Amino acid sequence: MQEHPLIRTKNIVVGYGSRTVLDDVSIDINRGDITAILGTSGCGKTTLLKTIVGLISPRAGSIEILGHSLVEPDSDESLTVLKKIGVLFQNGALIGSLSIADNVALPLTLHTDLPVSIITEIVAIKLSQVKLSHAANLLPEELSGGMRKRAALARALALDPEILFCDEPSAGLDPVTSAGLDELLLELKQSLGISIVVVTHELFSIEAIADSIIFLHKGKLLYRGELSGAQAITQGPIPNFFARVDSQDSVVHNADELFTVENVS
Amino acid sequence: MEGIVPAMVNNEQELIILVPEHANRVWVGTQRPLVMLALSRPLVFDFSSTLSLDSSTAALIYNLGRRCKASGSTLTIRNIKADLHSTLTAWQPPSPVSNTLTRMGMLEDLGTATLAFIEECKEALSVCAETLYWSTWGLFKKRDIRKGALGEQMYQLGFKALGIVGLLSFLIGMVLALQSAIQLKQFGAGSFLAPMIGIAMIRELGPLLTAIILAGRTGSATTAEIATMVVGEEIDALKTMGINPIQYVVTPKFWAITVTMPFLSIVSTAMGIAGGFLISLLYLELSASLFWQQLVLNLFIRDVMAGILKSIAFSWLIVMIGAYFGFKVRGGAEAVGKETTSCVVAAIFAIIVADAIFSFVI
Repeated sequence: MQEHPLIRTKNIVVGYGSRTVLDDVSIDINRGDITAILGTSGCGKTTLLKTIVGLISPRAGSIEILGHSLVEPDSDESLTVLKKIGVLFQNGALIGSLSIADNVALPLTLHTDLPVSIITEIVAIKLSQVKLSHAANLLPEELSGGMRKRAALARALALDPEILFCDEPSAGLDPVTSAGLDELLLELKQSLGISIVVVTHELFSIEAIADSIIFLHKGKLLYRGELSGAQAITQGPIPNFFARVDSQDSVVHNADELFTVENVS
Repeated sequence: MEGIVPAMVNNEQELIILVPEHANRVWVGTQRPLVMLALSRPLVFDFSSTLSLDSSTAALIYNLGRRCKASGSTLTIRNIKADLHSTLTAWQPPSPVSNTLTRMGMLEDLGTATLAFIEECKEALSVCAETLYWSTWGLFKKRDIRKGALGEQMYQLGFKALGIVGLLSFLIGMVLALQSAIQLKQFGAGSFLAPMIGIAMIRELGPLLTAIILAGRTGSATTAEIATMVVGEEIDALKTMGINPIQYVVTPKFWAITVTMPFLSIVSTAMGIAGGFLISLLYLELSASLFWQQLVLNLFIRDVMAGILKSIAFSWLIVMIGAYFGFKVRGGAEAVGKETTSCVVAAIFAIIVADAIFSFVI
């Protein structure tokens, strides 16, 4: 019997005002994989991620995570799903008024009846997992960009999620820190069996961690499958992306129509 | 003067512009009349003595080229060196995208503005309704409130405002009493100062002054805090953790201000009356016992209740308006500042309108 996909979107359409950002996107994401959502800037990667986790309501289509729908915010069904997912935002999105330890403890305090001493232990475990034990009592503003992301990762892992969503985890990080974060994601997948969905356009990251990829171009799904399959494609925006060539529409110039040139020496 | 290069008209009626040795933005700046000119005759740029050009020169040429084409005229680049020609080509701007948007008429403008206003009203009502629901009935469903948040907010919103509310109310009470005392003294009606100040402070000025101060203090702080959280994706992060952002951020403020505002209002009233009392002692030379006797004689419990009721209503307006402007923010730091200012203006406006309505109702 075929296993039910972890995440399934069917014909979703998302837009802001008169602009359509995602057009008829249908994807299945499998359990245990690291799936990378790829594409050039503005292609709708982050919008797709935010739509899947329920932050944006699609104009059409349906989304299922772990067999549940996230349509009704604050419903019991949504809450059940949200407790099983963790989201790492592009800039960390840590609560500025709380220390790193309190940030990590937040979902545990509000969603569990665990005693404070156990919550403190869990927070210590999570911070150690992301190598930030020394920063527990610091405020987010006192951390570097990379540390903030790791702290946000610890918070996303606080409730032992089944799926981890990461929005551009390498953005704004130096290559070494970025590689460290990739290693951490791989470790999480291998040691805890977490399924990970990563929005990225970093080719090194994709090659290092992705089991499967979803390629978006101008809001449309161009490819879904293994990385090797995408790399074998020879035409269209996908090979341009892998060859690091800008595949945006070329700009129209018409200088010849505007003036004539006489006597070039 | 350097940069200004003469133009001349040749036998073929071409307007020839002699481009200087270094065609840069200083020179382009002097060509303003040319840009303004109706391009009726053919235009020639003579680069024979030009050694370098910058992007502003390229922009001038392409701009004029486009305008010449539109007016049916021509533009010619003459005697240009090969390297300058390639530079000029490299700086070629893209063709302007044809503007498919049609200009809307007045009625359409009005309709769009009305629809936007209705949408804004719906959003405001939605935030108010959600705040009321999640701060009351919703608490039986879930409680996404951090331990100690209520106490912290009561300290921030209430206790910290005590000094400024007390001081301003005392001064307003004094000024009000002094202005009234001058008039009352002329008619020998100084003893009426006590009930006048008392009723004005208890029914009107106490709650109103407190509300205006808190609109500036708490309203702006609420908007700024929520808006910063929206911009920094903290609100999104709360949502994805299954935490209701209204309950987490707004509910503690809602209850903190609901509890502390009547107390602040009472302090404000007491300080205002104390200011009036001081004037009655020093200026009208009334005895303290007469002042208090007159005050107690003319004050009724319904006046006190009206003041408390008003202060609660104002507190809800402040926190809801603060929350609405905070959640509505789009953009960056500039938008946070803009919404914060809008919140203070809207909150003070709403408070005064509500006060006017209350004056007729209770």
